[in-house]
Amino acid sequence: MANLVKFTIDGRELEAAPGTLVIDAAKRAGIEIPAFCYYEGLSLQGACRMCMVEVERMPKLQTACTLPVAEGMVVRTDTPQVAQARKGTLEFLLTNHPLDCPVCDKGGECELQDMVFRYGAGESRFTEIKHHVDEKQWSPVVYFDAPRCILCYRCVRVCDEGMGVGALGVVNRGVVAEIAPNHGDHLECDECGMCIDICPVGALTSGAYRYKTRPWEMEHVGTICTHCSNGCRTTLGVRNNQIIRGNNRDSSGINGEFLCIKGRYAFDFYDHPDRLQAPLMKVNGKLEPVSWSQALAAVARKFSDVKARGGNFGVIGSNRTTNEENFYLQKFARQVLGTNNLDHRRSGDIVSLLDALHGQQTALATTADLYQAKAVVVISADLALEHPLLSWQIRANWRHHAAHVYVVTTEPVREDKYSVNAARCAPGQELETLQALRPQLVDEPELIFVFGDTIKGEKVRKLVEFGASLGKPVKYVCLVDYANSRGAMDMGLTPELLPGYRASGMPGLTIAEMLAAEDLDVLWVVGANPLAGASLAARGAFVVVQDLFLTETAQAADVVFPACSAYEKNGTVTNVTGEVQRLKRAVQAMGTKPDLEIIGLLAREMGEAAQLGPWSADKVFAEIRATVPGYNVPLPVILTGGAAQTSPVNGRVEAPARPELIRSARNGLFSSGTLGRYSNVLHSVLEGRRQP
Amino acid sequence: MPNPINEVFEAAAAVAKGMTVTLKELMSPTVTENYPDEPPKFEERYRGVHVLQRDENGMEKCVACFLCAAACPSNCIYIEAAENTDTVRISGGERYAKVYNIDYNRCIFCGYCVEACPTDAITHGHGFEIASYNTATLIYRKEQLLAPAPAGAKPPVIAEEAPAGH
Repeated sequence: MANLVKFTIDGRELEAAPGTLVIDAAKRAGIEIPAFCYYEGLSLQGACRMCMVEVERMPKLQTACTLPVAEGMVVRTDTPQVAQARKGTLEFLLTNHPLDCPVCDKGGECELQDMVFRYGAGESRFTEIKHHVDEKQWSPVVYFDAPRCILCYRCVRVCDEGMGVGALGVVNRGVVAEIAPNHGDHLECDECGMCIDICPVGALTSGAYRYKTRPWEMEHVGTICTHCSNGCRTTLGVRNNQIIRGNNRDSSGINGEFLCIKGRYAFDFYDHPDRLQAPLMKVNGKLEPVSWSQALAAVARKFSDVKARGGNFGVIGSNRTTNEENFYLQKFARQVLGTNNLDHRRSGDIVSLLDALHGQQTALATTADLYQAKAVVVISADLALEHPLLSWQIRANWRHHAAHVYVVTTEPVREDKYSVNAARCAPGQELETLQALRPQLVDEPELIFVFGDTIKGEKVRKLVEFGASLGKPVKYVCLVDYANSRGAMDMGLTPELLPGYRASGMPGLTIAEMLAAEDLDVLWVVGANPLAGASLAARGAFVVVQDLFLTETAQAADVVFPACSAYEKNGTVTNVTGEVQRLKRAVQAMGTKPDLEIIGLLAREMGEAAQLGPWSADKVFAEIRATVPGYNVPLPVILTGGAAQTSPVNGRVEAPARPELIRSARNGLFSSGTLGRYSNVLHSVLEGRRQP
Repeated sequence: MPNPINEVFEAAAAVAKGMTVTLKELMSPTVTENYPDEPPKFEERYRGVHVLQRDENGMEKCVACFLCAAACPSNCIYIEAAENTDTVRISGGERYAKVYNIDYNRCIFCGYCVEACPTDAITHGHGFEIASYNTATLIYRKEQLLAPAPAGAKPPVIAEEAPAGH
């Protein structure tokens, strides 16, 4: 590029685009300029004075975090004056900062600790008594210790700009200035914990992790959050086979540093006291714990009997189990049981979308696209509550790239605040309202449509026609509910579709039809709860359930297998935008087995293991990559913890989309289906207790 | 040819010299210890079985900062931390060690833990009689390591029982 600015930092001649900040330019060149208040992606503050550098022909030291590079600028970061300034700044920051590192939860990964160690003076000249304020608890998950705060405003900015919540502010001035929550003595917000994560010191600490251990004592396991469909990477801190905390400490993954309350805290369902730890079998009308071999033998015998006499099976899969498990389950159902009565709870009309988009290779947006696109249209979804990462991406896009955001919803949503046009529509009238936005949309250079579950069937086709009629590059995101809702559809957990959206061409029962079928002999439910609020018409049906908890469905079961949660197994999941990511086992839960292994052991017990193949996650994934259209994703990307988007189906989907079956659970920030019921954190926060 | 008279004198002198030492040592105080019949004496800095100290109120000094465990080259210290509350107050700080184990199968008595401790909670005592036929008994728990509460100390446990409503 011709218009790069040339400048010098520490004698090294560098180039950068105009407007680049000195601190960023230095970082890219491998020169560290320490800073507290500067945080990439947030607005500039210039509060901490730690990033002082010497610039030729400027009378005083300059803050590198607010200084854009200029042609011929000569910057020095290694002079005695700079070292002196850093030392002085740290001395000031420590005037009131208590030296309680040994009891502080931030100790060991504290930026202030590191900086003082590297740049600070050994001792302080201040002999005054430190200003003390008692620690406050703002919510079950947020503690604030005012004396530790260095007033860098990172929390205030991330809450306001990053989250769009604005629950934090600064009150008072001078030595008594402190961060304050929006409701005086407590917080009412998303409880996402971003403020805790971003705090460079131990002023904001997590209630869930409080005094549990120290950072260096934990093993850090990067896996994918099992709650909503956004597929955020959460790094679980594990000690003694216990998950102590979740965060995304290396900002890897599609979510960067972002996590909501579910990714950060709601892993706690895994050691809920109600967790099943042994197979249960109905003996005299009561579920009694039995051994694995007894339970497997009983189920295999029943399956073989029913199969031999040509009985009816019903198989219901999960929105949370891995791709491997879903693939193996449908293979088991279709090949071993010989049934096509196979379904899962559908929450978005991805089938209609793929069919309408057939032949287009780049029409499905990725999570990263939402940050880059010039314009985003949100239709019929409260993204900030239901899909917090997508909402975060769009917000960041608006902040950094001034993206145009359009909203078409029935109720006000958080996206309204920064949208160029927030249109309210009557229920069912989304597309008509969208038509009214046409004059604005047609001027956008590119667009992403993000739509919720009310856009299904014909409406999806109409939306795609509308998008095509704009004559601009258009991409789509079809919202779905859970961690692997998309994967369940991709892996063919429906009667009408095989893996990769190939038509099965065979009749089969859907969930509602299975529950209503009076001649059903076996109902096999893997990680779902269809009997919550519904009943099974076939009184005599043999019900087998694989789940973490004794759900309504499990209570009605004849045999219950205790399954592993996503944090206890390996495999892959596919997020809402079709990106495949890898789960990594963090802990082991006593007595449980991964669903894949349970299905495999059942196959072995029935003597059918040979035709299904080995039940190791890697082997099944290899088979998926080889046989499922769209899933030939680059293995190195997946294995190294990256995300690879499945390529869209290149052809018509020759099967009905069944829009009448599509209904989103509409989980907000504080609910998450069955798992949410067993997460104490989600129920402990004020906002979680309030929701119906 | 050696002179036999000289030889006698030299031998007598040597015996006298040796006997002088013997007689001198006979008079001086004894250094041999009669362990195990009598308790052994230690230098002040002897590094024996650890003692977890208490403060003047009888509160535990350990705040479960894990620095001893981090400093330990043989990785023999295991800690679980917990928070002091109004009703249960164990240490002087905000947190205390709910579990504090030292595995004396592995401890090499290097004293790094003592050096690392920011609150002077862990010290080396003079205990050394820990040999055992059963290695399981060599994992010492906090209760075995704690110093006794000083006489008359009143640990400020705020409430004896939980107030009504909790």
